[in-house]
Amino acid sequence: MHSDDVVTSATRNRKYPLGGPSKGGTSSLSTRRKKSRWIPSFELRMMLPAIVPLAVLSLIPFGYLIWMSVSKVTLIGGVSLTGVGGDNWSKMFSDPAVWASWKISAFYFVATVGIEMLLGVGIAILVHERLFGRNILVSILLMPMFVAPVIVGLLGRFLTDSSFGLYSWLLRFVGIDNNVLGSPRTALAAVVAIDVWEWTPLIMLITLAGLSAVPQPLIEAASLDGAGYFKRLWYVVIPSISGVLLVALLIRAMDAIRFFDIIWITTNGGPADTTKIIPLRLYEIAFRFFDLGYAAAIGLTMLLFSIIVANLFVALLEKKKGAAQ
Amino acid sequence: MVNLDGSQFGGITRRDALRGTLLATSALVLPGLLASCSSSGTKTGGTSGATVSGGAPDWKQFQGTTLNFISENTAPSAAIAADSAAFTQKTGMTVKIQQMELAALVQKVALDFGSGGASYDVIYADPYQVLAPYYKGLVDLNVFAKDKSLPPIPGGIEDFIPSQLLTTGRFLDETKLYALPYDCPTMIWIYRKDVFAKFKGQMSQALGFDPTPSDNTTWEQYYQIAKWFNDNKAKTGIPYGTGHQAKQHDSLMCDFSNILTSYGGGYFADDTKVGGIGSTTPGKCMLDSPEAIQAAEFYNKLLSIANPGSTTWDWNGADAGFQAAQMVMVPNWHEYASGDVAKFGENVGFFRLPKGPKRSASIFGGTGVSINANASEKQQKAAWLFLLWATSAETQVADLKSKVGGGTPTRTSVYEMPEVVQNSKWPSTMPNLLATGAAREAWKPENAYLRPKIPQWNQVDTVVFTELSKMLAGQQSPSTAMKSAKQQIDKIVGA
Repeated sequence: MHSDDVVTSATRNRKYPLGGPSKGGTSSLSTRRKKSRWIPSFELRMMLPAIVPLAVLSLIPFGYLIWMSVSKVTLIGGVSLTGVGGDNWSKMFSDPAVWASWKISAFYFVATVGIEMLLGVGIAILVHERLFGRNILVSILLMPMFVAPVIVGLLGRFLTDSSFGLYSWLLRFVGIDNNVLGSPRTALAAVVAIDVWEWTPLIMLITLAGLSAVPQPLIEAASLDGAGYFKRLWYVVIPSISGVLLVALLIRAMDAIRFFDIIWITTNGGPADTTKIIPLRLYEIAFRFFDLGYAAAIGLTMLLFSIIVANLFVALLEKKKGAAQ
Repeated sequence: MVNLDGSQFGGITRRDALRGTLLATSALVLPGLLASCSSSGTKTGGTSGATVSGGAPDWKQFQGTTLNFISENTAPSAAIAADSAAFTQKTGMTVKIQQMELAALVQKVALDFGSGGASYDVIYADPYQVLAPYYKGLVDLNVFAKDKSLPPIPGGIEDFIPSQLLTTGRFLDETKLYALPYDCPTMIWIYRKDVFAKFKGQMSQALGFDPTPSDNTTWEQYYQIAKWFNDNKAKTGIPYGTGHQAKQHDSLMCDFSNILTSYGGGYFADDTKVGGIGSTTPGKCMLDSPEAIQAAEFYNKLLSIANPGSTTWDWNGADAGFQAAQMVMVPNWHEYASGDVAKFGENVGFFRLPKGPKRSASIFGGTGVSINANASEKQQKAAWLFLLWATSAETQVADLKSKVGGGTPTRTSVYEMPEVVQNSKWPSTMPNLLATGAAREAWKPENAYLRPKIPQWNQVDTVVFTELSKMLAGQQSPSTAMKSAKQQIDKIVGA
């Protein structure tokens, strides 16, 4: 580079400290582009007060969780982490108890979400058909949803107690004399039933909202074309509310994966580990054995599973939206 | 014996102390004029500004301090909470008591240690779930016991029942003291005296022995008695003979351990040492021994005729079942006596547990109260005063009279008080004492059973009750259950 070139460049820099116009103004444009890349947009700046705390509250713990999963964690005198490589992960993949819990979780997940969807949609359709006293009926049906899960668990335990439980007393009349929460054959079914009792109203509520948005002319047109009740339901109503149903499914699926309270209160994972779903196993390892490194590895797999399930439902929703357009 | 009543120490206040100090200082400057004023014998002592009169420290030296006490939701803690105004009156301090289920307590205490802070100054230190795994987070109480600025242990450390002090207060090192014995639940045989009395003749004839609980009653006879009650429910009006705390829970391990030990089995070769002072290296698990397998076989047989609710009951459920007249007898913690007496009056009886081929064994479930090592020096010293008050003879007697339950004493001297002796028999104004005859019999070295005190106990306990639960569910034989538990426990303890 010649000295003249250096002087010219320096002068230009003094005049235009951010790069200034040169050769037809292209430098100015690229500088502005560079600048806009580094300075957040107005919208982003407005969102920062919300995004920063959210990142602090979720990303830092997430990073810490990953670090814990490759460490041995000790608590006395403050938390300290000692690296153990992939030990916790290999232990998890070779632990039959964890696999057994995943199997129970899968069954539990399919059973609760499946039954709740069927019953919730069914009840919503029946309630929707009813014109007189619908609001009162909906209010009554929604009641279980407003009870704290721990209380629902306690109610379930008392109602099925073999000594003084109302349900046990009723079951004896139909020849079922065993202890529903104490028998491996019935315990899982009992906790599924308790969950279904509490959360079916949520599905019903969401479905009712969807049903009220189904265009009436569409149903009338189908009727005029000779479609009966069930045909209208299957070919018109259900497709119209399928987006809403997917949202309901997503909400309940996310809840079912991390389900804990009712099983903890009623069976504590027993009898014979038949109700020990993965969140209970995780709790036991984290807060009973305080093997926090191992628990972190299990927690991360639960998170991964949740993300996969959530993405699956979101993809289905997108597909549905695309088809509608 | 040192009386806990502040008046005995001269009722020294901060103002008295300050006045005494000023007088003493002045006396040094003006010895001729004020020599007589400095002879009061009052002086300041300790870093905390404790005042001492004739060697007696001030109970109000931490006035205005607030202590946080975390405890299991037990009857003794309910009584302590109800009586906490007495502590405030005595010390000028306030104590906030948080009561919760034991598992939640263990979790909160561990997380508190992990935080490096001290949300809790006083900790209900279960010997197996808190003391053994987290003893490094607790203060060696000898420091305070020797501190002249603080009150000593009323009645001396030797007033505590020695075996309970060892179990609840010490770990690994006999010279260190981590907790003062606070409660002492012990499993005993609770039964309906009226039903036994009514059918004694018929049962004796049918069974060929006197069914009344006695020193010679065996577990096999207990089974036969329970079966007789099952077979004769129409006569008694009670559906089952026995009920148990056999939920997949800590309670199942407790219930089984009585039988395991009475059959000569044990968790580790040196169970006496491992259960007493504790160990970090308990050695190989002994659950695959013939005695342990025999015990598991018997337990399986016993539970097959027990109230079917047993597999959903922990200790609370078992007691509720007993009070609901769902069974005639139940092995349970002796501190349930007050509720049972309230329900059945003199018709409920208490006895130490039956014998097995080897001996009678009653599991001890007592706990101590400790001080958090992360708390500040001032909080620790203030907490020491709470420990002294909560475990004092006066408070233990007050607990016995409490309307909200109350525990049973951990001090020998309390059992010798005339009022306590008198109320140990029906009719009693201290119903928990009605079970202490059976409990004290169970505390005798030949009858007592102390479970392993090891840092890995939570894992070991979980393995034991999970394998037993599988056995009771019919998923595996007693032999398989014991062998599987042994295999897992060996892995946990690194044997």
